Amino acid sequence: MIHLDKDETKAMVAVHGWSGICLGLLLYAVVLTGTAAVFAQEIGAWAAGHLNSQSAFEAPVDARVRRLSEATPAQYRDSLNLFEVGDHGLGAFFHRDALDAKGMPTERGIYYQLDHGGRLTSTVHGTSEEVFGPHNDDALSSFLVDTHVRLHVPNPWGLLLTGVLGLTMLVAAISGLLIHRHLFKDIFTLRRNGSPVLANRDMHSVAGTWSLPFAFVLAFTGSFFSFYGTIGVPVVAMAAFRGDVQALSEAVYGNPRKSDPRPASIGDLDRVTADAVRRTGEAPTFISIEHFGRADAEITSYHQPKSGDLEPVALLYNGATGAFERAKPTVGTRPSAGGTLSGIMGPLHFGNFAGILSKAIWFGLGFAMCYVTYTGMRLWVVRRGQDTRALAWLERTLTVVGFGLPICLLAAAAAFLVTMPLGSAVYWTTGGFLIAAGSVIATGVVIRSNEALTRTLKGTAGLIMIALPLLRLFAAQGPGWSEAIASGRPMTPAIDVGCILMGLWLVRAGWNAARPAHRDGTVIGKGVRA
Amino acid sequence: MPDRSNTIPSHLRFSWVRFLLAGPGAIAVTLALLAGMPLWLPAGAAGIDNLVFPLVLAPLIWAALFFHACLDRNLMRVAVIAGALLLVHGGLIAARLLPHPVAHEISR
Repeated sequence: MIHLDKDETKAMVAVHGWSGICLGLLLYAVVLTGTAAVFAQEIGAWAAGHLNSQSAFEAPVDARVRRLSEATPAQYRDSLNLFEVGDHGLGAFFHRDALDAKGMPTERGIYYQLDHGGRLTSTVHGTSEEVFGPHNDDALSSFLVDTHVRLHVPNPWGLLLTGVLGLTMLVAAISGLLIHRHLFKDIFTLRRNGSPVLANRDMHSVAGTWSLPFAFVLAFTGSFFSFYGTIGVPVVAMAAFRGDVQALSEAVYGNPRKSDPRPASIGDLDRVTADAVRRTGEAPTFISIEHFGRADAEITSYHQPKSGDLEPVALLYNGATGAFERAKPTVGTRPSAGGTLSGIMGPLHFGNFAGILSKAIWFGLGFAMCYVTYTGMRLWVVRRGQDTRALAWLERTLTVVGFGLPICLLAAAAAFLVTMPLGSAVYWTTGGFLIAAGSVIATGVVIRSNEALTRTLKGTAGLIMIALPLLRLFAAQGPGWSEAIASGRPMTPAIDVGCILMGLWLVRAGWNAARPAHRDGTVIGKGVRA
Repeated sequence: MPDRSNTIPSHLRFSWVRFLLAGPGAIAVTLALLAGMPLWLPAGAAGIDNLVFPLVLAPLIWAALFFHACLDRNLMRVAVIAGALLLVHGGLIAARLLPHPVAHEISR
């Protein structure tokens, strides 16, 4: 425990409160969408009705890649990235290094999408920023991730904004730790017999204390990812490489090897993927081929961390022969402290290092962070609201954002389920979110009582959640539970059940909030002053 | 111009200096450290530690500077530490970027 004197504690309380109240609403949006994005892949598969459970890399890829390479102009055959898209389909991006209009390094080429059966479904030409946009069947998961990563603000400003929010969360987490005088006592203190606000303050404190390490890790890793490309890399390259970002990237990620530009056929990719699966126990998440079609070609296969480990695995193969060369760190050419440190940042942030279990823990703790962020702002407002009514607008805004944002996300999911079969999900997923946002704001203006507004928004969120499984089944023509389980997709019925239970709980909570005891503002005020 | 420094309450002036050190000051020093640390940190086994550590630790460096500026009673000490870090790393960066051959020798 760190013991601060009275003045220092007061300063930390001010830092904690103001850091939350200045950027808390945006932080809440980022944390809420990040919580949902933990399961973005599963939510995307649930909504799009995916049924394949075999990885694209466990199906034959060699013949498909050779067929695509023959159709690709030689100028784009320098490098190839392979990864999974949609319902375990294959994405293949043939490209070469290039500079964009602003002179920044990028990749330009042709992006092919194949379905699980190997049929070509899409071909897009352009830079990496242009070709990797949302598609009809992944519009919902893309929308969730994009909201979390940059709040739909154009880059680099969106990333800078979420980076600042990450630092705000870091400040709130550290100051939250410093202001606890009795940390271990606070972890277990829940005075349920006191006033409602005293109970709320205890719950904020308990949820915040339990999730403090998690908040710290998320804020640290999140701000790292946001600032990495926007500020970090250019600034580090400024002195170390005289501003040459490409040289920095080559030093950190490159595989230095003697150049041999002689033409050579690429090695058997099926043999490479089979060997990678045998060595790591699971299919690759990503395969990168440098100098495709040359004698010095190199294939790197990337995998999730092994069981009980945090650092992702990468295997290096000779591109011309397909022979295994060595396991390598994801960053750097050989194991190092820096490579390990940067390698674990992703798994720590995404919570994907131990499958569904770690994701579930990250989801739960993310939800706790949403609760802490929202209740923290609410306590701040209610405490000051006793002295002046000028903060009533802020209390109303808190309710609109706190309960309205989940409604908007649920409406986006509903819009996706209705419009995906029509092929217009990319447009209407965002459209559904915006229409819901407008409706929620209008409701916030029209309904005079904050309690009635809360009740209405909770009930609406609950009803949409209950409707989602029905929309999935009947509007999106998604698979039934038995079909999904038989296809190795147990998450589909699990998400359905989760939606229904959560929806019922929200409807019940909205109903309970209508009871007179919950509407007594005087009790809340007394509780806060206590 | 009338001298208004005496009319500003001391705690307010105190707060503004602290605000500047914790806000723009912490950001400026973090950026200087981010650019300057690769020039003196050991490169490690893979030759990348000096590049990766500043990149990864930048949020924590900023947080350390921010909380130091918020909590240290002695504002002069905060200013001296931040100023020293800024000057040393600014000097290293300048030495690296200046075209003068002597500067290159220094940076090595």
